[in-house]
Amino acid sequence: MSQRLRLWLLAVGGAGVAALLVAACLDLPAFGGRRHPYGERAVAASLARHTANTIASLNFDQRAYDTLGEISILFAAVLGCLVLLREARDEHRAQPQPAEVALPVRRYALIALPVALLTGLYVIAHGQLSPGGGFQGGVVAATALHLLYLGADYRALERVRPLGVFDVCDALAVSAYAVLGLAGLLAGTAFLANTLLPYGTFNTLSSGGTVPLLNAAVGMEVASAVVLLLAGFLDQAVEIEEERGS
Amino acid sequence: MNGWLLAATVELGGAGAAALWGTATGPLPRRVMAQNLATSAVCPALLLLAQGYGRPSYVDLALLMALLGPVGTLVFARLLADELLDDRPRAWTLTWAAAGLSAAVVVAVCVATGPSRAMVKLLLIGALLIGGNVIASRALAGGFRGVRGA
Amino acid sequence: MADAVIVVALLLVAASATAAVAQREPARQALVLSVLGVVLAVLFTVLQAPDVGLSQLAVGSALTPLLIMLSVRKVRRQARAKDRAR
Repeated sequence: MSQRLRLWLLAVGGAGVAALLVAACLDLPAFGGRRHPYGERAVAASLARHTANTIASLNFDQRAYDTLGEISILFAAVLGCLVLLREARDEHRAQPQPAEVALPVRRYALIALPVALLTGLYVIAHGQLSPGGGFQGGVVAATALHLLYLGADYRALERVRPLGVFDVCDALAVSAYAVLGLAGLLAGTAFLANTLLPYGTFNTLSSGGTVPLLNAAVGMEVASAVVLLLAGFLDQAVEIEEERGS
Repeated sequence: MNGWLLAATVELGGAGAAALWGTATGPLPRRVMAQNLATSAVCPALLLLAQGYGRPSYVDLALLMALLGPVGTLVFARLLADELLDDRPRAWTLTWAAAGLSAAVVVAVCVATGPSRAMVKLLLIGALLIGGNVIASRALAGGFRGVRGA
Repeated sequence: MADAVIVVALLLVAASATAAVAQREPARQALVLSVLGVVLAVLFTVLQAPDVGLSQLAVGSALTPLLIMLSVRKVRRQARAKDRAR
């Protein structure tokens, strides 16, 4: 294909996308409008199920099937990354030299680690009440662990990070989500239907039926996946070296 | 538009834009320091927005930012330690000015909230933000040595 | 007048996204990218989408810079090792 033809193809494709975008924008509701047909129905449904955070109700109840797809994508993506980042035959592990970290920085890392871990768990547990949820909290909790790498050195992190356990947790959490869905089926309604548990008192930790449980499963999955992903990157960046002359 | 939102707008338009300019231009040490100060420029604005919209749950954003912003700076301080070895970024005046700004905003929001559990959370955010900001500045000014291998 | 904060946030996002693309060196790009993450979180907040803002903050402020900087370190280490072997 010649350069010219390629440019023409790009121009035609770009013009098509631009036309569709303009057509879609002309049909949008006005900016900052207070009324929205979909929003009103979603809020009504989430209030009926005693879930204070409508977004959590959307993600883990009204459209929980979408979230199952999303966590499967994350699972598959991290699996693919780990296969690509594994130690190849022509590579070996070198022992990294311990880093020399200034005392205030080391202390800060050791103080901030438990606070961040706790914040992650708080965000997961309050997903059905306030902004946040499994994904956000899981990322925070996983990031918290890596303060050990930043504040001490890689070997300190390796000691508190049994990768096998995180592997199992990752897979277990994805299955737990699917099993919770199947439980809805067994209870006689539909896959991932929020009819399994009582809805509880509005605006308390135990409200929302299965929403907190699904949130916890997603939190566990995301935290394990991020730890495993970062482990792959850290191994490659810090430990694994190519054999000389290959 | 109430005063809180106005203050947040001014803070974002002033300190936020300044931090962005510092990060996008100039030598590497200045960029890293500006990235650090971006946290303390934007986090108080998030607190002001939460107060301005009258939604206490938005405070969680500021909490996460006060926790993770300094961690992000530590990432750069650690992994760019070789490049920053000769020309260490130092901006203690700016760091303490940012800390003072954060403290002023936290105190103002605390006074508006009144003594309650929400106020404890705000004070925690303030402590994390100021402590993290100062420590991150310290880390940039030579917190990591001899990390060539790791 | 209440939309002023939205306009400021939008301008900051546009400016930092453009600046991130304009950088040529990956480490500097990562620095601007982390600021972009922060201002995006503010934009989501002023558009009343704090859930998305939290996701953006969690991923953009520490995780993305760490992944990028680790990749940069790996590439540089490889280049150094090749230089030594030569």
